[in-house]
Amino acid sequence: MRGGAEVLAEELRRVLVEAGHKAEIVAIPFKGYPPERILDQMLACRLLDLSETAAVPTDLLIGLKFPAYLIPHPHKIIWMIHQHRQAYDLWQHPLGDLHPYANGAEVRTAIHAADTKLLPQSRWLFTISRNVALRLKTYCGLNAAPLYHPPLDAGRFYTRPAEDFLYFPSRINPLKRQNLALEALARTRSPVRIYFSVPAEEPGLERKCAELARKNGVADRVQWLGAVSEERKLDLYAHSLGVLFPPLDEDYGYITLEAMLAQKPVITCTDSGGPLEFVVDRETGIVAEPTPESLASAMDDLWNHRERARQWGNAGRQRYSDLRIDWGNVIENLLQ
Amino acid sequence: MKILIATSGVPFIRGDAEILAESLRKALSEAGHQAELVVIPFKPCPPSRIPEQILACRLLDLTETCGVRIDRVIGLKFPAYLIPHEKKVIWLLHQHRAAYELWEQPEAGDLMHYPDGHLIREAIRQADRELIPEARAVYALSENVSERLRRYSGIAAEPLYHPPANAHLFHNGSASDYFFCPGPVNSTNRQWLAIQAVAQCRERVHIRLGGEPASFPQQAKSVNKGKWSDRVEWLGRLSEEQKRDLYANCRGVIFPGVDEGYGYVALEAMLASKPVIATSDCGGPLEFVLADQTGLVAHPTPESLAQAMDRLWAGRRCAAAMGEAGRAHYQDLHISWPNVVEKLLC
Repeated sequence: MRGGAEVLAEELRRVLVEAGHKAEIVAIPFKGYPPERILDQMLACRLLDLSETAAVPTDLLIGLKFPAYLIPHPHKIIWMIHQHRQAYDLWQHPLGDLHPYANGAEVRTAIHAADTKLLPQSRWLFTISRNVALRLKTYCGLNAAPLYHPPLDAGRFYTRPAEDFLYFPSRINPLKRQNLALEALARTRSPVRIYFSVPAEEPGLERKCAELARKNGVADRVQWLGAVSEERKLDLYAHSLGVLFPPLDEDYGYITLEAMLAQKPVITCTDSGGPLEFVVDRETGIVAEPTPESLASAMDDLWNHRERARQWGNAGRQRYSDLRIDWGNVIENLLQ
Repeated sequence: MKILIATSGVPFIRGDAEILAESLRKALSEAGHQAELVVIPFKPCPPSRIPEQILACRLLDLTETCGVRIDRVIGLKFPAYLIPHEKKVIWLLHQHRAAYELWEQPEAGDLMHYPDGHLIREAIRQADRELIPEARAVYALSENVSERLRRYSGIAAEPLYHPPANAHLFHNGSASDYFFCPGPVNSTNRQWLAIQAVAQCRERVHIRLGGEPASFPQQAKSVNKGKWSDRVEWLGRLSEEQKRDLYANCRGVIFPGVDEGYGYVALEAMLASKPVIATSDCGGPLEFVLADQTGLVAHPTPESLAQAMDRLWAGRRCAAAMGEAGRAHYQDLHISWPNVVEKLLC
């Protein structure tokens, strides 16, 4: 599996090396089921020893993901990507897979205990976003500071005059809520158009979404671009009128940042999590209710006020700079 | 197939084992499989922490990834080869040597110097004895490694040979007036033995060494005093290309090392159609050198090594014939990555 977390780890290693340090990734395999095996793997991490390599002390260990962030080290900093969400915000959630097991509750308790007791052993706790820090506070009572990092190839984004489409760049996944966008599209008053693309194609789901578009009578107002190249993605961002990003409780959300880099306004929802840390309602985009009606009215709003949309896009780019979202800042904090 | 290569590593250290693991991954991909490395960090000191790291490996779960079955695990290094999997094959690079053959060599191993060393050694040996046979098949890097496994753990393993990196780039050039002794320079590669031998040669033997004499300050001093010092040439750190050229244009290759796990030097010499002079205790390379046919095996003394060097130096045509025989022997051994892949997946 190679996803956002793996890219982040590789990027972090790269910038540490560029800053003159020796840095390596230690990736511990993790399998989240059946639940009792999670406990074994937590223990395995506690038994590993990264204090030295070939008799030379490792100066710093940076922990990113559960359960690897539990590996002990006298100089450990945690920059948490996420906890084991099945035991926290996804517990009893339709998308969770821990709670249906007979021993799910016991394992959940053990995960909570391990996080609560062992995370404070690190010298400092950072998270990739305020949303992740908030969960850590809510469930474990631990304080952590968000530390933002740029999306991959941040320097390559550019902007062009807006054309007649909103861009929806997420993977097709229930958490990304393409269905909500399609239902909203059916309720717009203006002839809003949406272009969908995915980083890695999942044909089954795309067919389902296309069906949903037909059912809502908006098939002629959407385009399914499938998997697009990096160049094409940059081009779609640059020419879009705005970016549509209404996921459910995103940890971080590169898409918001990519839209800001392309100087485009972002439409997101009040329950979208990560994007809310960056989108300022009616200054750099619109924060809508997660209902088809509210989302539709936000889409109409952008569609009919092009000049204001352009200004919000520019304000988003300014906000990106103000937030100091760069690797230099990340390293400075992690190594302080 | 979805295949995981389970190995251990010391962060920041990249040696032959890491290159081998990466080459294996590449060979599996080229054969159409999805293959990834799982590298478990391993820290052998203090030894009291070793049993915990064995346990950690036993607790990991490589059966599936995101609901998709892993079809095969290939275990390479201790203790990662102990990670359980019902379709596991071990291709043993080496056991934890300090608990085996290096236990008896106090200058090389560290385990025996610890008060609890004996206990840890037993724990390691027991884990190997009982858990290695869980694998569906056990192969070894070489006859040398296989023999150790049989001797210490009573487990049989077929040697499975692999080619050196960039095998296809080795070539034969002319036979210029030097023997090549490749690096890296260290005490187990015993380059100083070859240098002492030069002093004893009757022929005006020249030798070129990869690396720097800095590792042997004592020996280097005596070299500088000798009249024959102009016949010993240190080349410093060599690029891969320089190394291949030195192989291609030498009269023969000298490997005076001790108990090497695998015979890369011999294989590289054979690929370049050059005869090999190896010491009788050098381990891995001896599996590939046919004495008096593709090279010479000398005792690990300057005198014996000098005799062998004189013989190849004087018999230029004989040396060339041995080199050709070495190249032919390489072909006969079927040393190729497709062969390795086929064996590990059957």
